Amino acid sequence: MPQHNKKPHREFEPDVVVVGSGAGGGMAAYVLTKAGVKVLILEAGRDYDPLADSAMLKWNHEAPLRAAPTPDKDFGYYDATVGGGWSVPGEPYTSAPGSTFRWWRARMLGGRTNHWGRHVPRFGPYDFKPYTRDGLGMDWPLSYEDMAPYYDRTEKLVGVIGTNSGLENHPDSSPGVLLPSPKPRATELMIQAAANDLGIPCVPSRYAVLSRAIDHPHAPRQACFNASSCGRGCGIGAAFQSTTSLLPMAMGTGKLRITTNATVSLVVTDERGRAKGVEYFDKDGASHVVRARVVVLAASACDTAKILLNSRDGGLANSSGEVGRNLMDTTGTNIAGHIPALENRPRYNEDGMDVAHLYIPFWLYKEQAAGKLDFPRGYHYEIGGRFGMPGAGSPLGGVEDGYGLSLKEDARRYYGAQLSFTVRGEMIPNTDSFCELDPDVKDKYGMPVLRFHWKWSQHEIRQIAHGIKSARDMIHRLGGTVTTPDIPPERAISDGGFIIHELGTTRMGDKAGNSVTDSFGKSWDVDNLVIADGSVFTSNAHKNPTLTIMALAWRSMDHLAARLRKGEV
Amino acid sequence: MTAEISRRVTLAWIAAAASSALATAGCESVPAAAPASAPMSPASLWKDLALSPVVAPGYGQDPDLNKPVIPWPLTLDGQQRETLRIAADLMLPADAHSPSGGTLHLDAFVDEWVSAPYPQQRADRSLVLAGLSWLDAESMHRFGPDFAHAGDAQRREIFDLVAFRKNVQPGYGRPAQFFARLRGLMLSGFYSLPEGIADIGYMGNNPSLGLYPGPTEEALAHLNASLTKLGLKAV
Repeated sequence: MPQHNKKPHREFEPDVVVVGSGAGGGMAAYVLTKAGVKVLILEAGRDYDPLADSAMLKWNHEAPLRAAPTPDKDFGYYDATVGGGWSVPGEPYTSAPGSTFRWWRARMLGGRTNHWGRHVPRFGPYDFKPYTRDGLGMDWPLSYEDMAPYYDRTEKLVGVIGTNSGLENHPDSSPGVLLPSPKPRATELMIQAAANDLGIPCVPSRYAVLSRAIDHPHAPRQACFNASSCGRGCGIGAAFQSTTSLLPMAMGTGKLRITTNATVSLVVTDERGRAKGVEYFDKDGASHVVRARVVVLAASACDTAKILLNSRDGGLANSSGEVGRNLMDTTGTNIAGHIPALENRPRYNEDGMDVAHLYIPFWLYKEQAAGKLDFPRGYHYEIGGRFGMPGAGSPLGGVEDGYGLSLKEDARRYYGAQLSFTVRGEMIPNTDSFCELDPDVKDKYGMPVLRFHWKWSQHEIRQIAHGIKSARDMIHRLGGTVTTPDIPPERAISDGGFIIHELGTTRMGDKAGNSVTDSFGKSWDVDNLVIADGSVFTSNAHKNPTLTIMALAWRSMDHLAARLRKGEV
Repeated sequence: MTAEISRRVTLAWIAAAASSALATAGCESVPAAAPASAPMSPASLWKDLALSPVVAPGYGQDPDLNKPVIPWPLTLDGQQRETLRIAADLMLPADAHSPSGGTLHLDAFVDEWVSAPYPQQRADRSLVLAGLSWLDAESMHRFGPDFAHAGDAQRREIFDLVAFRKNVQPGYGRPAQFFARLRGLMLSGFYSLPEGIADIGYMGNNPSLGLYPGPTEEALAHLNASLTKLGLKAV
C-alpha cells in the first residue's frame, strides 16, 4: 500500500482499534473512517503491496520445482500468502486426540483476502433461518431482508461479476449492481449441457473480480486482463483484495493508521469489565498496549476466539460459554473425469478471468422440503477443466502410460480433456467441533495456543455421498471415465479446516444465553467490544463466506458508528 | 552434499546378487540387506535405499516471487545425471513438435527436485535414486553394461518391463512405481518449459483487454459436434 502510514500510533489517538486487516477488518476500517471515526488497524503480518509483491505473469519454470507446493508455500511458489499457510513459525496449534483440523493463516497486510478464491454467492432467505426450516442448528438474529441492502452495497463496492438467475434461495442482486460476466469456456459449456440434461442448473458464477475498471482517487482498480491466477495476488486490483480496495480507500479519508507486525494477544479490560484497548506484541517480542473507546475484533474466526479466551480466565465476552464453540468449516471433496470427447480439441486461450465462469448452485430445495433427500442443507459445485498453464503436474491428468513418441502424442491428445467437480457444502454446527486453549502448548509470545476438536456428522457425510454421485452422473453423461478413486464419503470428505472457511466461534444470536454477540456483532457482555469477522456466523451455508463477512461487517459498523455519534459508547 | 549412491555400490549389489551372497557394503548409504534366503529373481535387483535426508535451506515462507532462487545445492553425480539424461531422451524423444527431454535438461530438473529439502522431494529422492541404481542393476544383469552403456534396444527392453500400466512384469512393483514417478516428474519438467508449452499448445498467460470472448469458432464447432454425438443440446 503506497499510502501506508508508518508513523507510530502513539501520535494518534484512535476512537476504535481494529484487530486484523482482511475482509472483516478492512471493511470495518472503511465504514468507520467514512463515518469520520478515527481507526487504528493492528495487523499481525508484514506490510504487503500486491503491485510490487505479486508475480502475476511469471512462468512456472522460472520458479523452484516448477512452482510446486511445498511446506514453505503450501499453495505453490507464486501463491500470495506470506508468512503462513498451514503452519506459522512460532505460532503452533494442536488437535485433540482423534481430531484432525487444519488452520490456514496469513501474516500479511490484507490477510487472506490476498489469495482467496473470490467466489461470492449470496446467502439466501433459507440460509438465515435454518432452524426454522429443518430444526437443526440455530436461526440467525437477522433475516435476508436485513442483509439484502448490505449485499447490494458490498457487491457494488468490491465489484462482482455475475448474472441474476432467479433461482430458489439464490437471491438476485438489485439492478445495476453486478458487472458483466465473461463468456464460458468450452469445458464449462460441456458441463452445462450435461447438467441441464440431468435437470441440474448451471449458471453464470459470481466472483469478486472486475470486468470493468473502478475509478477511485485512492483505490483505482483495473478490469481483469484475462491472465494470471487470482491466487497470486492481483497487482492491477481487478481481483478484490483488502490491500487494493478497502484499505487505501479508508486511508484516503485521513482517519486511518495501520501498524503492521503487531500480533494482538488479548483485550485489556477495566474493573467494570469494559474493554480499554488491546495488548499486542511487535516482531521483536516487546508488548504494547493501545487504548481506544471501542475494540473491534476481525482477526479471523479462530484467532478472534483465541484472543477472547486469552483475555481473562474463562474467556472474555463468554458468559454464554459459546466462545470457541460451534466451529464450522465447509465440506469439500473433488471428483474428476477424463472425457474422450474433449481429446485433441482445438486450442485457444482458455485462461479467461481465471475463476470458473459457470457455477452449479444447489438445486434440490423442493425435494429436500418434501423429505426426499437423506441429508439437510445444500452444496454446490465449483466446476473446472481448461487448457491450464503447465507446471508441476502432468498435463495428462492421471491417464499417462508408456513412454516415447506415444507419450508425447498422448500429452497433446489428453491435455485439456479433464473436467472437475469441486463439492462445497454446508456443515451444521455440532458439539464435537470446537476450539479451546491448549493447557500445555504456548506460542512464541507465551500465549496459550488453540487446541481443535473436530468431527463431521452423518449430515455432512451423506451430503458428500450425494455430491459424489451427482458429479459421477454428469461425467458419465458425457461419456467420460471418473479418474478420482471411488472411496467412501467418510474418507472422501476433506479434513476439518481444509476448505479454509472457519466460522462460528463467537456466534450471533437473539439472546445472551445462546450466543456471544447480537445481530450487530456487539458482545452481549462487553458493551464496547464488536466482532466483525466470520466468527459471528450462526450457520455456514454452502455459499462461500467472504461476501457475507463483509456485508455483515458493514451492517455492524453502521450500527457502531451511530452509537459513537450518539455518545452511547 | 554428494550423491550417496556410487557406482561402486551398484557394482557391489550386482556381484552380491550374482553370488547369492548378499552382504552389506561398508559405507553409510548401504542398501537394506535382503534376507539370505531371498529367491533369485529379477525383482531382487531392486534395493530400497536408507538415505540420510537432504539437509539444506528451503526458500522460506516469504521469498521474492519476482526473483526466484533455488537455495539448495544439486546433489546428483555425473553418472546419475547421465543416466537421467538418457532416460529423458527415451521418455520424451524429439519429434516434429519439440526437442527431446535430454536436450531440455530434464536431468537437471530431476536433480533440482530430488535435492530439495521438502518431504515430498525427500520421498521422491529415495525412490528415484534407488530407481537409477535399479536401471543399472537390471541392465548389467541382463546385458553386462550399465544402463548408460547399454544399446537403445536393451534400454527399451528394461523400460518395457515397467512402463505400461497393464503390463508391469510380476515382481516389478517398486521399479514400476519408480518409473511412474520419473515419468510424472519428466512430464511436468518438460511441458512447463517454453518448448513444451509450444508443443502442447497452451496459449494463455497473455493479457488482453475487454471481456473474455470464450471459445473460438473452431473450438465451438468442435464442442457442438461432440455434444450432438452425445445426444446433448448444442450451444
